[in-house]
Amino acid sequence: MNQDFNDDNIGTSADSLDLSPRAVTPRQQRKRRPWPAIIVLVLVVAAGGIVLTKFLTSAIDYYCNVNEIGAKSGCEAGHRLRVQGVVDKGSVENDGVTTKFDMSFGGVTIPVTYDGEPGGIFKECIPVVVHGILTDGVFMGDRVEVKHSNDYKADNPDRMKNEGSTSEGTACSQ
Amino acid sequence: MNTSSSLDASPRDRVTGTPFTRGLGILVLVGMVLLIVLGLFVSPADVNQGESVRIMYAHVPGAWLAYLAFIVTAVSSAAYLWNRTRSLTWDRIAGASAEVGVLFMGISLITGSLWGRITWGTYWTWDARLTTTAFLFVTYIGYLAVRGLGGTHQQRARRSAVLALLAVLEIPLVHFSVELWNTLHQEASVAGRGTNVDMDGLMLFTLFLGVVVFTLMYVWLVLHRQRSLALDDMLDDSGLDNALTARRAEAERMTH
Repeated sequence: MNQDFNDDNIGTSADSLDLSPRAVTPRQQRKRRPWPAIIVLVLVVAAGGIVLTKFLTSAIDYYCNVNEIGAKSGCEAGHRLRVQGVVDKGSVENDGVTTKFDMSFGGVTIPVTYDGEPGGIFKECIPVVVHGILTDGVFMGDRVEVKHSNDYKADNPDRMKNEGSTSEGTACSQ
Repeated sequence: MNTSSSLDASPRDRVTGTPFTRGLGILVLVGMVLLIVLGLFVSPADVNQGESVRIMYAHVPGAWLAYLAFIVTAVSSAAYLWNRTRSLTWDRIAGASAEVGVLFMGISLITGSLWGRITWGTYWTWDARLTTTAFLFVTYIGYLAVRGLGGTHQQRARRSAVLALLAVLEIPLVHFSVELWNTLHQEASVAGRGTNVDMDGLMLFTLFLGVVVFTLMYVWLVLHRQRSLALDDMLDDSGLDNALTARRAEAERMTH
């Protein structure tokens, strides 16, 4: 072994071998294998593709307002729609299986039938988005989402008694 | 970062805390206790949403701090790319800020999902705000993965800086998604364009406190994380130094 090194004249004098610490070179590899990062990156690209598809197919104009049905492109009756409107005061009927209520927006009202009990903070005079199909003038909903407004008021028992209406309720009576 | 400092660093250099971060940490803890007391007990329930409105004090600061973190990542990345300010410290601040941003974005997504279940009646839906937020979240997970791809510190810094400057462009899209499109998500209550703040005074104060506390927590996390990333880089460098030292010793043994 020593013979080989002597032949190549390596290590015989300090000048022949550059042992000073190198600055940054491409050989300065991080010890960590990049495989986890590559796998994450592949998953990220896949997830990004799914999200982008959802954006183009669902997120742009998430709903049609009640008065836009049949009036705005993409809001034609006869195929699945998401319709936004305010639940009419005193219109909610629930027989234990089906919930029926009227929904209005922009002066137009449609009746809604929903199999089940709407979740969230569903009540009359609150804006909702209903997913479903309009058949024979009745909107057959299979999903109800409550679209609450962005005003926040303290739940003050006195005010409830005095005015008998909520902030959403005021909008309802207009 | 020369050989001696990376190999012979005193124990003082190997910790990430300083008197400043300790003071800041105590401030964050005190602020967090105050936020919990105000958010969960003192502030009123909402007339429509009831007790669930309290989720707002974590959800909104989480989202805002994620925006801030990603903007800091972009600014630090620009500072790295600009020749006159090029330093790996900027790169590590960018990385640390992005990590904390992903954490806060995660907090905002989880709390938002729970809040959605209670008020909307659903954990998730593909409206514009939720969809663009999911895209932002995924983008920055990708950014962190790119940082872990290997190569030299400089390669890592350059790649990720370019990506950070592109990714930050998504933030206006996320923020204004509720104004650009019909969304289930409500519009901005406080930081919207031309929005009259219509919120109970104590609720607004609690929300403001939440933003302050989350901001201080962000600074604390980024300072620590940035320093631990610097130690990580030192370790990589000293790995090379150690290898060279070993090689040198080997060469000397052979000549004698």
